[in-house]
Amino acid sequence: MKNKKVVLLSGFRKVVPAEYESWLESMALEGWNINKIHQRSSLWMIFERTEGKKYRYVYDLQAFPRKEYKTTYEQFGWELVGKMASVYIWRKEYIDTRPESFSDAASLKKRSQQVLWALVLTFVLFLASGVLLAYSYLSTNLQGANWATIQLILGECLIGAMLIYLGLTMRKIYINRHL
Amino acid sequence: MNKMQSKYIPMTETMFYILLSLQEERYGYGIMKHVETLTSGRIVLGAGTIYQSLGKLQKDGLIQPVKEIERKKIYKATTLGRKILVVEAKRIAEIYKNSEGLR
Repeated sequence: MKNKKVVLLSGFRKVVPAEYESWLESMALEGWNINKIHQRSSLWMIFERTEGKKYRYVYDLQAFPRKEYKTTYEQFGWELVGKMASVYIWRKEYIDTRPESFSDAASLKKRSQQVLWALVLTFVLFLASGVLLAYSYLSTNLQGANWATIQLILGECLIGAMLIYLGLTMRKIYINRHL
Repeated sequence: MNKMQSKYIPMTETMFYILLSLQEERYGYGIMKHVETLTSGRIVLGAGTIYQSLGKLQKDGLIQPVKEIERKKIYKATTLGRKILVVEAKRIAEIYKNSEGLR
């Protein structure tokens, strides 16, 4: 029996915070466990085989957490599994009732809003780089050169694909903002 | 006062109970325990909700940190926080009065 499971691009496949949490929870229940989440974990994660565990996972994006952020969670008995980009992943083992970190509609919505803001910022940065690329092409006299044209087209296609991906992701998170 | 009144009233149940708990000095987890007792276990505030709410209330000057003991940041409602709470309590009392006799 295999004792390790590698998951690629988890952060891009489960974009809605609540989906990411339930995915980690179902992995833990099946006996796939991860004890430390790193910066690179959104790209690849290694789970280890353990007995099935009933965990509640929490996804919380905090770009500028105040000093008491971690201690507040710790007082409530949450364990910090790790951080990827600005996303904190917390967990707590439970028996009957699945514990909540966001206990009302307003705070759940705010949690989603924070993810949306981060995506809007990324979107704007990509958009700006697309405009800049086109501008630098047009402002020099490289327009006749084939290689420069090909570079421009490739670059704009990549940026365009990223913008579409980000747009679809934002839409999905917005639709599920109450989860 | 007027600006905060229109921002906070009507208040969510979470905000109301946090502000009510902070009529006394309390820290995050202590607020949750107090609210759990007040509502006989009906409202169990989560860590993320408490953290968000305390940040918002402090930013708007409705509560302020008073001290820190063993990494616990202790807050208390300000005069403004108390005023807003009283306005909200009156509004709720009116709802209560007007809904008597229902059922």
